[in-house]
Parts: sequence; structure tokens; C-alpha cells
Amino acid sequence: MTERRRRFEAQALPHLDAAHNLARWLTRSSADADDVVQEAMLRAWRGYDGFRGGDIRPWLLTIVRNCWHDSTKDRRRRGHVPLPGEDAAPLWNKGDELVHEGPSPEAAALTRDTGRKLDGVIAGLPEEFREVLVLREMEDLSYREIASVTGAPIGTVMSRLSRARALLREAWLGEIEGGTRHAV
Amino acid sequence: MPCDNETLVHAYLDGALDPAKALEVERHLETCIECAATLEQADTMRRLVRSEASYHRASPELAARVMGALDDETPRAAPPPWYRNVWTGVSGGAVAGALAASLAFLAVLPPASEALVTDVTNAHLRSIASEHIIDVASTDRHTVKPWLATHADLSPPVGDFTREGFTLVGGRVDFVDGTRAAVTVYRHGRHVINVFAWTNYEGRLPDIATRNGYHIVFWRQGNLAFCAISDIALDDMLELSRLLKAATMPDGRE
Repeated sequence: MTERRRRFEAQALPHLDAAHNLARWLTRSSADADDVVQEAMLRAWRGYDGFRGGDIRPWLLTIVRNCWHDSTKDRRRRGHVPLPGEDAAPLWNKGDELVHEGPSPEAAALTRDTGRKLDGVIAGLPEEFREVLVLREMEDLSYREIASVTGAPIGTVMSRLSRARALLREAWLGEIEGGTRHAV
Repeated sequence: MPCDNETLVHAYLDGALDPAKALEVERHLETCIECAATLEQADTMRRLVRSEASYHRASPELAARVMGALDDETPRAAPPPWYRNVWTGVSGGAVAGALAASLAFLAVLPPASEALVTDVTNAHLRSIASEHIIDVASTDRHTVKPWLATHADLSPPVGDFTREGFTLVGGRVDFVDGTRAAVTVYRHGRHVINVFAWTNYEGRLPDIATRNGYHIVFWRQGNLAFCAISDIALDDMLELSRLLKAATMPDGRE
């Protein structure tokens, strides 16, 4: 194994989980996330000499995001039509039949379903808000790092994040109070 | 009139403001009910996401896929035949010893050992051909070991030697010599290594064998017989067997 490969593995592989988590939240599909991560790790490897040192995680996450955007462009070119439920359909609709089980919103929020429902709500957010939320709350990136990953100015990151939390809250309250108002 | 400081309140919550600005927002929060509510709501959502939303970790299969893709990207020169390493002295004593052992073994291969080698090779080929390599997929030895204890009735040492180049990917139950064997599966680059462990093997174990291009290394520890098989280089196989021997002693049937 070459020294370059050894260094790359030591630096990049510990962040495979972060890469996959971001890819999974962007693609909302397990199989697509794996493809995006594999492509991203290859690109990172090819471009490794261009990595300027420091924390490698934002650099890797930037590549993951770029790969995802390139793959969506490819799909559009190929005329890929997402199957129902595969793409932008708000996932909280899937849980409608479960919504009225709980005796009260408070109790419902305390059930083991909380995580699953919350996942559905986050997955239903528009991508620009979903990604800042994932980068901030799950990867704990700073505003500056989020700006570099998303290629947006810091001011935009700030407003997107506050908007993301507001949208999330609105959708979450909708979910635990009945969910039906979001059903189309 | 709605307060337009909402974005600043979020930045304050995230610790993204410089001290002077943070102080300013703090003072504002004391008097603005609207912003105080925003802070509380934002904090609630922040905690909720951090504690309840799924964090999607990479699967062992993905890790193996990535390693394989990297291998393809940097085709290593075909490794020199292992025996050449011995003569040029590149790989040192371990291989030389192994060579001596395998030559000795080849010269006097008892029929029982011959059958065992065939058995293990067939099990290995079967697992690869059927792609039924693992029953329990996990890189966590604390998952694989108890699983094997339950399903194979024995608990061989299971280690994670990622740093040494051997990534644990899971476990499986298989059969060797007509008895149930616990199989621990590792990856070395793109290559699969099956490590069989089984009990009550009375016969003499060969040390090393090569069959159909696969290297097979045998050893014994406590009441368990072990056998590692793969198409990786023999000195890598010996390294893995050394690591496994150094890992916790087997505790046999549980």
C-alpha cells in the first residue's frame, strides 16, 4: 500500500459515516446514498493532492454534495422519472394511519415512533433547508463550514438555518397533532 | 410589528456570534417576548433533532465497496509469487518458516488432513459463489461474538483489526469436517477471508496448505481448531492468524 493511500485512509475513512449520513439525507434512498458515497470517496482520492490540510470532514462533505448534484443532473438528462414515494413525496403521509393512535399529542410525541416520525418530517423538508439542518445538528459544523460545504454565503446559511428550524417546527407540530393537514 | 432579529437569535443559539454581538442579543432577549419565544422553540427543535433523528452510519458493505473501488483505482503491481519473497529475503522469517512448514506438510500429507483441506476449500468456494458470506453483518465484534455463541454454539475470538488491514465484516455458521463451525469473516482490500473455528477435532491439523490458489492456515487454541482461508498473500494470512492468536483466548462452548 502506498504512503498516499495510507494517509488517505487514515484521514478520510473515519468520516465515512458522516459522508453516508449526509448522502442518505440528501438522496433519501439507501442504495443511492451508497452510490453517491462511493463516487465521492473516489473523487476525494483523485483530488486528495488538492486537499489543503486542516479538517478533512467539510472537504469530504462538499464532495459528497457535489456528487449528489451531479447524479441528479445525470438523472434529469436520462429522463429519470422518480417512482411515487421515491422522491419528493412528503414521507409523513405514510404514517397517517398511525397518527390517531395516541391519546394525546404529548403522549404521541413520547412514543418510540418519535424518531421515525421526525425522520419523515426532516425528509420532507426542501433540500436547501434539509441540508443545513443535517450539517448543523447532525454533523455539528460551524456556520463557516456549512457555508463552504454548500457554497452559500454565511448570511444565507444563517437565514436558511433559522428558516429550516421554523419549517421543521411547523411540520413537526402538524405531524404530532394529526398530520392530516399536510396530506394532499 | 414582527421583530426582525430571528436569524440572529438562531446564530446566538448556535454560538456563532462574536462576544459583543452575543451580548447585544442577550440584552434584546430580555425585553423582546417574540425573540425569547423564537429562542425557546429553536432550542426545542435543535434538541429534538439531535436526540431523535436517525444518524445513518455507513454499512460494512459500503466500507468494503469503497476500499474495493480505491483498490481498482490504484492497481497494485501483481504481487510477486510468495516463494520469491522468501528467496530474496524481502518478507523475512515468517514466510521462510511458513515455507518450510508447508513443504514439510506437502511431503507428508495425511489422508485426514487432505480431506479437511478439501472440506474447507469447498466451504470457502461455496460461500463466495453463493454470495452467502455472512449471516450477521457487523463490524462490531461485540455483536458478532455473541451471535456466533448463540448460532454456532461456540465463541471464538473475534477481533477488529482494521488498523492492521483486516476489517471485520460479520459472521456465519458453516460446516467443517461434518461439524458445525463458527465462521468469522474479514476483508482485506477486496478479498474475503473466512476464519473457521470448530471443536472436537481429534486429528492432526496441517499447518499450511494451498488449494486452487487459496492459502489455508490452520492452528489450534484451547479446545478449538482454527482455519483461515483466502486468496490474499500468505504472509498476510499469517499476520491475521497471529493477530487472532494474540486476541482473547477462546472460551469454548458457551
